[in-house]
Amino acid sequence: MDVYLSLSAHGQRTDFAFAGFIPENESIEEAKFCRMTGAVLRADLLFSRYFNLVEGGPFFTGKDEELLKWADLGVDILIAGWVSVSGENLKVKAAMMDVGSRRHIWQRTYKGTVHEYRRLAHEINDDIVLHFTGERGIAHTKIVFTNNQTGKKELYVMDYDGQNVRRLTSDNSINILPEWSPDGEEILYTTYKHGNPDLYALKLSNNSKRAVSVVQGLNAAGSYSPDGRMIALTISAGKNPNLYLITPRGEALRKLTRGTSIETSPSFAPNGREIVFISDKPGYPQPYIMNLDGTNIRRLYTEGFSDSPAWSPRGDMIVFSMRLGRENYDLYIYNLERDRISRLTQDEKNNENPSWSPDGRFIAFTSTRSGRSEIYVIAADGSGQKKVADIPGASFTPSWSP
Amino acid sequence: MFKKAIFILVAGVFLFGCAKKQVLKSDRDSMVPPGQEDVDETSIRYDDWTKISELKTVNFDYDSSVLTDSARAVLKKNAEYLKSNPDITVLVAGHCDERGTIEYNLALGQRRAAAVRRYYGNLGVKLGNIGTISYGEEDPVDPASNETAWSKNRRAETKVRKK
Repeated sequence: MDVYLSLSAHGQRTDFAFAGFIPENESIEEAKFCRMTGAVLRADLLFSRYFNLVEGGPFFTGKDEELLKWADLGVDILIAGWVSVSGENLKVKAAMMDVGSRRHIWQRTYKGTVHEYRRLAHEINDDIVLHFTGERGIAHTKIVFTNNQTGKKELYVMDYDGQNVRRLTSDNSINILPEWSPDGEEILYTTYKHGNPDLYALKLSNNSKRAVSVVQGLNAAGSYSPDGRMIALTISAGKNPNLYLITPRGEALRKLTRGTSIETSPSFAPNGREIVFISDKPGYPQPYIMNLDGTNIRRLYTEGFSDSPAWSPRGDMIVFSMRLGRENYDLYIYNLERDRISRLTQDEKNNENPSWSPDGRFIAFTSTRSGRSEIYVIAADGSGQKKVADIPGASFTPSWSP
Repeated sequence: MFKKAIFILVAGVFLFGCAKKQVLKSDRDSMVPPGQEDVDETSIRYDDWTKISELKTVNFDYDSSVLTDSARAVLKKNAEYLKSNPDITVLVAGHCDERGTIEYNLALGQRRAAAVRRYYGNLGVKLGNIGTISYGEEDPVDPASNETAWSKNRRAETKVRKK
């Protein structure tokens, strides 16, 4: 609990070290997986930004003198582990030592196939983060997005660190605006495959697709409620594009907005009781918040064209993109408690379509800074911008998995 | 807790009290949102649509679905052709330039298509023969990122069914 407080409440970071993995049976194959799994874990620990990672000490084989050397380097907590490979099976035993008291404070064994070494490393990281913060890490998460490298627009998914990029659809059509379901099992998206922009859901476990909302006209910008029992979306139905609530099976619940203006881009508050969305009622797109029954609509005043709002998982912030005057689009955060807007990106061409990591500490977004639209990640404090992966073609609208 | 109970009650009335509620069974079924009439547009699915030389494309100002004077002049000629060929069904496709988000541009393109359909109706074209679709920024005629390309991409096309 003390460590949890020191990590997140005061923003101080404890000095950690990862001593690397050692092969249990000293085979060449095991040494290879020690290196590869260790490299992934080290990258995950660094990405998490919870830990100061001290380098330069010895491997940990269980001897006190090894811990003493790490103690001399100022390390409080040492992470170590043993790898064994048997045929296709990979086993990683990870442990954490309190360097001062030389006590084991945590140990767990992870099993998988040798092809899953990245997943095992991600799970180790996420358990270590859980141990120190009370909340699971995000190294196991994925990002879904669209890309046009085939000449059409298809859905793709990748690990949070840009690895394992995989195409999900081969519809030879326009598939846009993917959004995870809260249980992580489905991707909501809009597809032109059947001649109209329809809302579909793709189930990841078996790649099956089902129609969710197929009214003639727009069925777009579908977004799940946090409990997974409702979807907010824009339907035009021969009239003005307005927001509706439907069930995940496509049953109508209610019409949320009745304006003659454009209403789109809904995003639920994490408590499920409010929705932030975009309306161009003032003559240009602005973020608004309403209650779930469509009442109590109030504007979040911004100075420019504002779009693609996303409510933070902790509920206190809304990230959105805004264009001031003739500038490019940049990411901004609206702090709801302080009623204050802060800027995240600047002078890096267009930065749009932000999506929060499930722990609310990072934001995935698209940027055209390289000359084409690609997916980047930034910490919620505006630091550490990084391209997620080098992917051919242009990539759009990332959605971070739960 | 009390508020939650009320919400569930209200949701229940909605679910069980709404006679028009429909469950989607196939692509051809369409949900009728509450408070909405059936879409009186012609069905646009399962057909290929193509441009013909008699029906010209119109362009729009930035972030606008208002028909300009020059757009109205073009649409009047298009409407004359449609009225003299009353059996033709058409699809009006609204498009946007790449500025703004994908979601917003989908809605803007829909409004552009709807504005053209409404104007055709005012000019005496049978509304039941006109469907609309928005491609947002997904189908530019010029993929470049400059004013010339943007002004060409902000458009509404009137297409006919491929024979």
